[in-house]
Amino acid sequence: MDEEANAGGLLSQFEQILESDPAIDEIGFVHPSQFVNLNEQARHSVPSSSGSVCNVLCSAEGNTMFWNRDHKLGISTEVLIPLYREAKHALMAANRTGIESEIMNHSRAALLISSDFGTAWHSRKIVLLKKHKLSTFLEELIFSVLVLSYAPKCEHAWSHRRWVIKSIAGKCSTLQEIVTKESELVEKIAERSKMNYRAWYHRCWLVSYMTTEQSLHELKRSRKWAGLHVADHSCFHYRRQLMLSILEDRCCKQENVSSSYSVKINQLWKEELDWDEMLIKRYIGREALWLHRRFLSLFWIKHFLTGHTGLPSHWKHKTSMNNDFGIFVDHELNLLQSCSIIPDNNFDDYQAQATYSATYMLWLIKQIPDSSGFEFREKLRTENLKALLNKACSEMSSTWDSLVAYAETSDHYAKES
Amino acid sequence: MVELAARKHVQFILSKAKEKNSYESVLMEHIRMNGHTGCQHDSGGFGGNIGHDPHILYTLSAVQVLALFNKVDVLDVEKVANYVAGLQNEDGSFSGDMWGEVDTRFSYIAICCLALLHHLDKINVEKAVDYILSCKNHDGGFGCTPGGESHAGQIFCCVGALAITGSLHRIDKDLLGWWLCERQVKSGGLNGRPEKLPDVCYSWWVLSSLIMIDRVHWIDKEKLVKFILDCQDIENGGISDRPDDACDAYHTYFGVAGLSLLEYPGVKPIDPAYALPVDVVNRIILGIKA
Ligand SMILES: [Zn+2]
Repeated sequence: MDEEANAGGLLSQFEQILESDPAIDEIGFVHPSQFVNLNEQARHSVPSSSGSVCNVLCSAEGNTMFWNRDHKLGISTEVLIPLYREAKHALMAANRTGIESEIMNHSRAALLISSDFGTAWHSRKIVLLKKHKLSTFLEELIFSVLVLSYAPKCEHAWSHRRWVIKSIAGKCSTLQEIVTKESELVEKIAERSKMNYRAWYHRCWLVSYMTTEQSLHELKRSRKWAGLHVADHSCFHYRRQLMLSILEDRCCKQENVSSSYSVKINQLWKEELDWDEMLIKRYIGREALWLHRRFLSLFWIKHFLTGHTGLPSHWKHKTSMNNDFGIFVDHELNLLQSCSIIPDNNFDDYQAQATYSATYMLWLIKQIPDSSGFEFREKLRTENLKALLNKACSEMSSTWDSLVAYAETSDHYAKES
Repeated sequence: MVELAARKHVQFILSKAKEKNSYESVLMEHIRMNGHTGCQHDSGGFGGNIGHDPHILYTLSAVQVLALFNKVDVLDVEKVANYVAGLQNEDGSFSGDMWGEVDTRFSYIAICCLALLHHLDKINVEKAVDYILSCKNHDGGFGCTPGGESHAGQIFCCVGALAITGSLHRIDKDLLGWWLCERQVKSGGLNGRPEKLPDVCYSWWVLSSLIMIDRVHWIDKEKLVKFILDCQDIENGGISDRPDDACDAYHTYFGVAGLSLLEYPGVKPIDPAYALPVDVVNRIILGIKA
């Protein structure tokens, strides 16, 4: 058999499998040697209640090319190159003739092999625009999940979803539902694809489509996940975006907003600070938790403790505000105290904890507005922080020198002015 | 300390260029720029390969490669510049192609490309700068769009674009420098985001940004040099992301580029904003003949 004919058969076989099982929800590339294991497993497992069967498609030489069971499709790494070439040529031909069903079929085949093939994504968009049907747009959300199942970081797939959502926003009554589902999808993918910047970026992007109620709900819902993945900084960034959008909403509506809503946000911030502290004490030496605290404290001071709150008549309670600020400072100093103890065992984590707590304090000194920062500086001498940093992590002494020097310079300026 | 195995790395890169039928090179053909003329579209933009749609990414690659070999004049400069300028949006941001995805990376690419073509006048530079500044986070870093998480690669793009347009005075260099210098981990390597492992390619993004904002003395340069050199395969050539990992052309390029920024002896100086050799940038931007 000549190569061309063989490859031609390959594409139609692949497309037939996709057609016959529209419920395929996961794709993986499998090395020929691994098929033996897969078949072994299939033989020994009890057939599921749905009566699922294992469909195996072999080449003329008897090598497994496709393997489909329980809607999980395995593709042999041996057929990837000829299959991609064939799909690409077929797609180019279909693009020339403009037959929509062929464009959709061949681009699907190509993208399930090579997710970064931008032209194939574009061909689909052109067809979608021509058809202009809500249901076909929604089908794209299902199709791109399949691509993400084998390429969870694929930028094209994520951006295709955003394009679909932008296209249907305003024309679709279930948009809020779709946004919620998108958010759940990101969480599911983030579970097996750690620190996935593209996935979390997508979730942050969704925030602008959320109502305040939805943001509040998301904040509540994502808390558990964050608590179980304290090293995934992106999740904490997502929470910050939710909090900022809630805060912004208050600022926009401040004239007719009830003071109870302001109290609610104040409470929300306080709860996040307490929760973060609880995690810091439970999971020793996690950078993401300390960086989250920098944000929380900065905005806490800016919006709830000093004059930038936007709350009506806030200035009348200036004395009580100052008092609150004092309490906050003392609390953070206590936290520093308890986190800067480095026991002899368990070295690394406690060293990291002490380092992060010290840089957190240094950062606060730098960020707090001069008028209210005075109290902080009085109680906390930068030379103590420097000593702590050098004790906890002497390897980075040159960085500590620079950061402390920087904090001290501004200290000096503050005193002069 | 081990030394830079320059000759081995050259052999490594040349051997990689010959592997045309591997799985990666076939499936990544969209980023393999073969013949430039075949990749240019009527729109003026470049695709990654023949038969692939144009995108601003490949357009910059094409301009950079031609700049490197002093061959920019083979282009219809006007047409390419119009394609790039046409991707600017009302708010000053840039889309990557006609499909509208916006990202600060595309802002950098557009600005870098147009600067190399002497056509920054075709876009609204002020708005472009304002948009980049709107992507700044409370931690001093930058993301893809407003509110996007800070990321070393995005920061490089934003700082690079601000450097090229002479707008660096509009950012808080100390605050950004703080975020960047905290990317250095105990081993001396730099990571691209909090809680990530150090990686040679991020040495480039972080380091070039630190240099552009004049805060490179905030990290331990010697330890970074050592980290990069430890990522070399002394026997077969090439540089990997971390010590003892497999080498590839991508990390070899960024490793050498990083060493260049660290003024490692014998490596040609590279411009931190354009990511091109300094003599090439001088020739094109300043009109200085070598
Ligand atoms: Zn890397």
